[in-house]
Amino acid sequence: MKKSILFRLGVVILLFAPIVVWSAPKATFFWAGYDGLTEDFRASLESAFNAQSTDAQIQIVPVPWDSLQDKLNTAVAGGAPPDISVVGTRWILDYMSTDSVVEVAPYVSKATLDNINPAAMEAKVKGKLMGLPIAAGARILALNASITKEVPRTIEELERYAIRFNRPPQHYGLFMPGKEHTELTDFCYYFYGAGGNYFETLPDGSYGKCTVNSPAGVRALTFMAKLALKDKVVEDNFTTYDRIHGHPLFYAGKIGYVMIGAWVDSAMKQAGATFPVIYADIPSFAGQKQAGLIITDSVAFFKQGQNLQAAGKFVDFFYQKQWKGKFDQLIGFPPVTLDAAKDPFWNTPLYKALNHAALTARPWPLVDGFDTLNHETWVACEKVFQGQATPQEALDAAAAAVDKARGM
Amino acid sequence: MSETSLSLRQRIWNPEARLAYVLLLPTVVFLAAFMFYPIIYVFVMSFFRTNKLSALTKFVGVKNFIGQFQDTEFWWAALRSLIWTAIGVSSKFLLGMLIAVLLNVKYRGRKVARMAFIIPWASSVPISALLWKLVYHPDFGLLNRTLSATGIWPNPPGGVGAPIPAFAASMWVDVWIGIPFFALVFLAGMQAIPPELYESAHMDGAGSWRSYFSITLPGLRELILISTLLSAIWTFNDFNVIYILTGAGPASTTNILITSVYIDAFVERRFDWAAVQSVITFVILSIVSVIYARFYFRQENA
Repeated sequence: MKKSILFRLGVVILLFAPIVVWSAPKATFFWAGYDGLTEDFRASLESAFNAQSTDAQIQIVPVPWDSLQDKLNTAVAGGAPPDISVVGTRWILDYMSTDSVVEVAPYVSKATLDNINPAAMEAKVKGKLMGLPIAAGARILALNASITKEVPRTIEELERYAIRFNRPPQHYGLFMPGKEHTELTDFCYYFYGAGGNYFETLPDGSYGKCTVNSPAGVRALTFMAKLALKDKVVEDNFTTYDRIHGHPLFYAGKIGYVMIGAWVDSAMKQAGATFPVIYADIPSFAGQKQAGLIITDSVAFFKQGQNLQAAGKFVDFFYQKQWKGKFDQLIGFPPVTLDAAKDPFWNTPLYKALNHAALTARPWPLVDGFDTLNHETWVACEKVFQGQATPQEALDAAAAAVDKARGM
Repeated sequence: MSETSLSLRQRIWNPEARLAYVLLLPTVVFLAAFMFYPIIYVFVMSFFRTNKLSALTKFVGVKNFIGQFQDTEFWWAALRSLIWTAIGVSSKFLLGMLIAVLLNVKYRGRKVARMAFIIPWASSVPISALLWKLVYHPDFGLLNRTLSATGIWPNPPGGVGAPIPAFAASMWVDVWIGIPFFALVFLAGMQAIPPELYESAHMDGAGSWRSYFSITLPGLRELILISTLLSAIWTFNDFNVIYILTGAGPASTTNILITSVYIDAFVERRFDWAAVQSVITFVILSIVSVIYARFYFRQENA
């Protein structure tokens, strides 16, 4: 009886073993929750790749943007990272410092690489491509044309127009978040507009001490405080709003001017907004060079991933025009691939504005310790908004904290 | 054969003891892996520099501790933690005692009231904090809308966007969640006090207040000590409420030690600093517990 059971068990195991042994390698992809990106698209991409591929499978794991870095760091630290993940390009240096990521080129086809706009290859570090660009977008100024049609040429003009068109509580002149969140963009718009640099550049090209407390930084933060506390042209209770919770105020028609990204059109459609919008460059202070902000995200390959070859095959599939083009349209970022850029979808006022802004936009500094810079700069901004410190005092403290964290 | 004449080996390695060890082994392994090892590792980490993935890179001795003690924000966070704990525990104690007294009285609907009061304690803390976050929203929240619509406060403060309202709002949520614990503990203690004591007191002419201070409070002494110690530890380490409601802002004005640990570890990825603060928090709470225990046992022996 016992031998009979064992025999039957052995037959069952032998029958099913080939399935276990021969199942295609399955790569994991951490998929960031961009505004406008739908679950249907993610699911259909996953199904489509898995259906047509016999030697590689993909599992696309959706992760909200705000928790992506935490989840990724936990996975990497635990020795079980995904094979590939969307990352903020500025994170790549941190991962390189811990030898967690690998060069992209060995896993992705030449055809895919050749189809990428060279200008978007921000993740090239010392000649090696450490992240494949997935989204790159300059930030722009959007105007609710039912409130204002005046396009400011300087930040000072923006202030004047915001005051002119400010009608609280029906609508406000300008949106400005006052609560710390994962993006440092809003301070950066004014900082770059004042000609500021986050770090000094040393003779060898590397970054030295933090210079967020330079005259440009003080000017930027002083101006932001004036807009909110003296001119009172920003939304009520602005210190409770971050970008995610505040931009819907614009979509609801309650804001005249907002500094925003490429997702604005897609997000407005999803919010059911119907008012006309004018797009323009984010202006600089009078006398300063035009200098907006461009942000890129990349797909990074993780060294401890179990199925990097399978991940590479998926990336080749994803970066085809029918999928990557649709992805770009949903999230609203201009395409980084050359073939998708030819689609007439991008021939709109929004993308003309984005392309124009990109000509003069500057990226984040690619520096180890950006997280500390983000946090400390936000604390400085909040201190000024709460009246607890002057801009110089607050930014001096921020710069000192950043230098301390970087061992400067 | 008396126990004293048994050898040590016979006392700790007899058949009954062996069975106990086997049954305890899974729990011990679990605790060792998920509790003792991480605690010991954090202690070790506090003496090292770490990289962005928390791996130890360089032994620095007490330099991390010196760096923390020289940081003014550390002292502010510690002070806020003490204020947070003191106000939180005393509020929960007083309100919990009041509710326990009310629930101890016999009246119609007492069972329903008892069930209703346990809801904040039974709910998930993060869910409760998220719900209160909606209530506190300056524009769409129930609180500000009610205050302005009823005329009680035509221009109420902007939610959690300013330091004092943010601290007070977080404090209230922590107290709201913690009251049922005290209420239930005290209620259970009150019900264990023999009613004959109250009858005797009444016959001797004692009024309600006299009975409360002479019978109820002494009868609850041990429960008061244990519950306030536990609550102090939990309140000191209450990360969820503050971080969900305010993110430790605005401008770090609601940042206490436990949120500082999180921000250092998972926002700024300075695991060494976070480890130092964790060790300091552990030492503070250990000292409090030891003082408490000494006081408790001294009273018991007296």
